Amino acid sequence: MIPILGLAVGVVLGLLLDPSVPVWLQPYLPIAVVAALDAVFGGIRARFDGIFDAKVFVVSFVSNVVVAALIVFLGDQLGVGAQLSTAVVVVLGIRIFGNAAAIRRHLFRA
Amino acid sequence: MTATQQPSRTRSLGASLLDQVLAETVDPAYARAAEVRAARPAPTRGARWRGQALVAVTMVLAGLLAALTYDQASAGSEGRQQIRAALIADIDRESGVTDDLVASLADLQAQVGAARDQALSASTGGQLALDQLARQEAGAATEPVRGPGLTVTLGNALPSADDDPVAGRTPADTEVAQVLDRDLQLLVNALWSAGAEAISVGGQRLGPTTTIRQAGGAVLVDLRPVTSPYEVLAVGDPDSLQNRFLGTPEANYLANLQVTYDWVFTFGRSDDLELPGASSTELRSARPVTPEDAPAPGTPTPSVPGDGGD
Repeated sequence: MIPILGLAVGVVLGLLLDPSVPVWLQPYLPIAVVAALDAVFGGIRARFDGIFDAKVFVVSFVSNVVVAALIVFLGDQLGVGAQLSTAVVVVLGIRIFGNAAAIRRHLFRA
Repeated sequence: MTATQQPSRTRSLGASLLDQVLAETVDPAYARAAEVRAARPAPTRGARWRGQALVAVTMVLAGLLAALTYDQASAGSEGRQQIRAALIADIDRESGVTDDLVASLADLQAQVGAARDQALSASTGGQLALDQLARQEAGAATEPVRGPGLTVTLGNALPSADDDPVAGRTPADTEVAQVLDRDLQLLVNALWSAGAEAISVGGQRLGPTTTIRQAGGAVLVDLRPVTSPYEVLAVGDPDSLQNRFLGTPEANYLANLQVTYDWVFTFGRSDDLELPGASSTELRSARPVTPEDAPAPGTPTPSVPGDGGD
């Protein structure tokens, strides 16, 4: 319950405060969100599997976001930013799908 | 190695990578942490609370990140639209200012003309100068003209129903098929040679120094943009104008282009055309007219550089 409340608080805070993001950081926000989604779905799945661990979740979240942004940053510097973004989105997207399917099996037993 | 693992070794690297991605959707670190936890005594109440708080803070971060990204994405498109609207408003406003200035320029020129006529009509020398001035103004096309003539319309190909509006024509196609400044120049020159007395293109009267030029995708007549279809009005005797225009090689050339590129190319006689005056050229030098100084008819007033002001 608390994590869901936290998520809601974060969304409301972000929409209400409308903080300005530095321009150099803006291109990496979408990919960071996808990485964060992956970590969150992984955490929910682990919770249903009964092996959730707060430390692992926090570390995986932070490292996921940072590494995804870094990969895209590196790609931008090398001139393959768009392709690397696609690669990151594909891999993370597959994982999100897999986790979502596992969560669905837990929830609906189907 | 067991027999069941044998096939996986022959699979390509890419396929095994995909297999791994597909199989390992949950972070293996969770399983390892669970093993470690099982080996140790149960965590204290305080440690559990700390963990929950950490998770909550991380979720706040996740929500913040998502909201920020959403904001950014929506602000991006909104901002572009706002900038576009602001630029369009700027253009409209400045065009309005230009129109106002053109109108007041015409007013002031009329006042200057009236004052000049009044001042000159008093003396004989002035009368002569006035006659000469009238002839030269007619030559410079600064006075509005009204009369019968020919209306020629030249325009880009109209989009037909068969065209896919997105990908139907390649950019090269559309570029080739556009009416260019030189086509309009050809048309105008053909009309002059056919005996036109006054010509306007897209509402812009052509004077002796008026240019028809291309700037980017737009055709500029007298530095003002005109758009397709270009309506060319020529004042002159309609019968001879039409006959002689049709006899020119340029008309033939344009008719060919019309067939090739589906251009709009029509012409018709008009009984009453009204052409505005061309923008007058800048006054560069002037000097007072004295009776003994009055120029003989036909000879242009010698201009003395630096003698007068603008």
